[in-house]
Amino acid sequence: MSITENETWMQPNRRQLLKSAAVLLVSAWANAQGAGFAQIQPPALTRKIIVVACGGMRRSDTFSATGAQNIPHLYRDLLPQSVFYPLVQNAGVTSHFNTISSILTGQWQRLDDWGKTAPVSPTFFERARKQYKLGQEQAWLISSNKALSSKIGASSVREYGAAYGANVVFPKQLLINAVVRAAAGGRPVQSTDRSSVQPEIEAMLSRDNFDGLGWSVFGDNSVLEPKTLGAIEGAIAELVRTNAPATGDEFTYLVSREVMRRFAPSLLVVTFSDMEVAHFGSYAMHLAGIRTVDRLVYELWNEVQTQPAYKDKTTLFVLPEFGRDADGSSTNGFFNHRQNDPSTRMTWMMCLGEAARKAQIIEQPAAHTSVYAAISRLLDLEKSGDASQPPLAGLSL
Amino acid sequence: MSESAMKDTNDLNSTTLPQRDQYRAAITRLPITMRPTLEQQLAGWERLFPYEQNRLRAFLDALQAFSLAALEVLTQPMREIESRMGVQSWHFTAGSETMENSSLLARSEYYAEWRSCVQRIYEAVEAEARKIAPTQPQRTRRIVLILPANLPLEAYSAWAHWEGRGRKISLAQGSVPFGEALLSGPQGGLHGLQDAAGVDSSDCWIIDAENKIHASVAPSSTACNLSYATLQEFREHFLAEVNTIPKNLQAADEILAALRPQNWERWWPASLGNDARLRNFVVDLFLSGNGALIFCNSFVEWAASEALRRARPATLVARFGMRAKPKAFTGIAIFENQHRISSLPDVDDPEGSAIDAQLLARYIWLSARRYSEYDSAYLVCISESLHAAWLIAPDNKMPDWKLEDAVSAEQVRAWLNTAL
Repeated sequence: MSITENETWMQPNRRQLLKSAAVLLVSAWANAQGAGFAQIQPPALTRKIIVVACGGMRRSDTFSATGAQNIPHLYRDLLPQSVFYPLVQNAGVTSHFNTISSILTGQWQRLDDWGKTAPVSPTFFERARKQYKLGQEQAWLISSNKALSSKIGASSVREYGAAYGANVVFPKQLLINAVVRAAAGGRPVQSTDRSSVQPEIEAMLSRDNFDGLGWSVFGDNSVLEPKTLGAIEGAIAELVRTNAPATGDEFTYLVSREVMRRFAPSLLVVTFSDMEVAHFGSYAMHLAGIRTVDRLVYELWNEVQTQPAYKDKTTLFVLPEFGRDADGSSTNGFFNHRQNDPSTRMTWMMCLGEAARKAQIIEQPAAHTSVYAAISRLLDLEKSGDASQPPLAGLSL
Repeated sequence: MSESAMKDTNDLNSTTLPQRDQYRAAITRLPITMRPTLEQQLAGWERLFPYEQNRLRAFLDALQAFSLAALEVLTQPMREIESRMGVQSWHFTAGSETMENSSLLARSEYYAEWRSCVQRIYEAVEAEARKIAPTQPQRTRRIVLILPANLPLEAYSAWAHWEGRGRKISLAQGSVPFGEALLSGPQGGLHGLQDAAGVDSSDCWIIDAENKIHASVAPSSTACNLSYATLQEFREHFLAEVNTIPKNLQAADEILAALRPQNWERWWPASLGNDARLRNFVVDLFLSGNGALIFCNSFVEWAASEALRRARPATLVARFGMRAKPKAFTGIAIFENQHRISSLPDVDDPEGSAIDAQLLARYIWLSARRYSEYDSAYLVCISESLHAAWLIAPDNKMPDWKLEDAVSAEQVRAWLNTAL
């Protein structure tokens, strides 16, 4: 697929449907909070932090002579205005849950790969919310990755924990579950059958705490209003009727954007995962996932520029969670990300916005846990967590 | 469990390894984290291919030859690492490999050190094995990879992954696809595909995304024949079971353990006959992931890589194929049976399939390169759409065909036949 084709593949009507679904979903959360949430304006930070973690992508498929064609926006549009770190090492466990929790806590976490247990040191969500008494709508983690669980949003540390954690949402999983449940009920998705997925979505979103999706939104009372629920069902039923390529990351992005518009959170972490189709061995689809992320990061940055709450106040960190295993490895190359090799452990990071005042490339090695150290400095958090991590060079902290 | 499944299990468990108890005792002398792999192989002895059996037997004979004191010295560093890892407090299964075992090891901060230590112990024991039973002279092996005509490879990039060793040749165009002409033809076609007395079927593997090779080229062969297309019914039922696995390591291990001995009798294709060993290979293959249940080309690559690892065949033929495009909306649930969750018709993805197949063909060769048995192997990777192929062989065995020559299937076959 050419880059041009990739940029235009999503039909306008289909994207409009995804947007509608995202808008309705976020409206539902807002409504679920009731009047109290709407009337009280909890404190927010002046500075905004957005972290985008992009699954497993090798440097050779991204920032390299051969890989640059897969990331035209990152390479041509964003790199020239960024502080770029070409040598970022994941020295921890190269699984999704462990890597994301290491980014959030600044400590290499060694937890159950499927998110059975919470991080064992505080996340920057918790530290910032506790120190600045931020409301719960100020911290979000919106993820495409089904390897995460709601425990990613807060640590198990007694003086912090869920009371100071982030809202955790998995939009892609909502769509997947709806399709799978429809099929399990003998109602395969058809181009003309709008009723096949709708009841599944209704069933999932009607449950207390979105049981089955792993969401943790606004504490334990996240029940959607029936009226709003119906609107969501309609939007997604329209979505499934279209015969165009689908991407879960697109929906994750649209939900993230809507959360930014409605709540303007100070702390937002977005994780994309379309490229993780690599686990099933399609290199073509893996590259398509990288191109999608490239486009969505660019759109996210443009969204930051158009929202007064974010413009000139935001620092955006973009980094893959890790690379992928080297061709010829005993772990089957790009399929996986568990090899102890630079192909898997070494990746890159891009920093844009307020803290990246002078575009430059920093050759000094950094680590995934460095993000936490930088955020701690940016927000002037009292406890910096992993003191062994040096602050990221090149940033105005 | 049904009667037929019981019979299969009983057959597999029959005692044909007299030293089994002694070997078990030898394994218990090793640190606990080294035991699951060996225990599992020993328990499934009858399901191993001859290469695996020979290697395991040699390893365990050598292990027995170590004195207690010598083994203590060799394994002491590993025991120290296990202690630092805190293995004593883990829910670690010594009797078989589990996902939980792997997860516990992989997330330890001492994992890299542990891996190096395992490798050192294996190298020491295998060195001892070579003293006891010197290795046999190696045979030349052959790998034939076919990218069929419906995969439109780009001429400028098709061989980019192969640069560094070997060279490109041009292929003659005939009335039948080149791959088919290569494998069949007069005088029995490619040698080694047909039955040969005293040769185990695992010495030749034919792995096909469709069912072209076995059906039309080598129907009489008793080689290990695997076809993604022919396995469709089995795959679909197996996938449905795999998709019931929850996000919980212990539960996943329990379900995986239950899947192995399950009676799949009615879903196996006739081509697998009563070959319990090959059926077990397929089950292991699908349980090890890597997209083998989902995409035909992933199946071909992973099956070939596992065949090379486990059987070291003299001849391996792998033919790639066409996968469908991800379906609208339901494509996000790609791990699901797309026929079941969407009634939209399949649409071929020739360009995407070509990108996948050309990289995965290279991966098969890279898998072979990890094993010394393939140091002097012959390889031909054929692109039927480009009428070109990539050849690899020892320098003194490379044919002197020029790029402008249109080499016929007979010529390539004759060259490959000189390898045996």
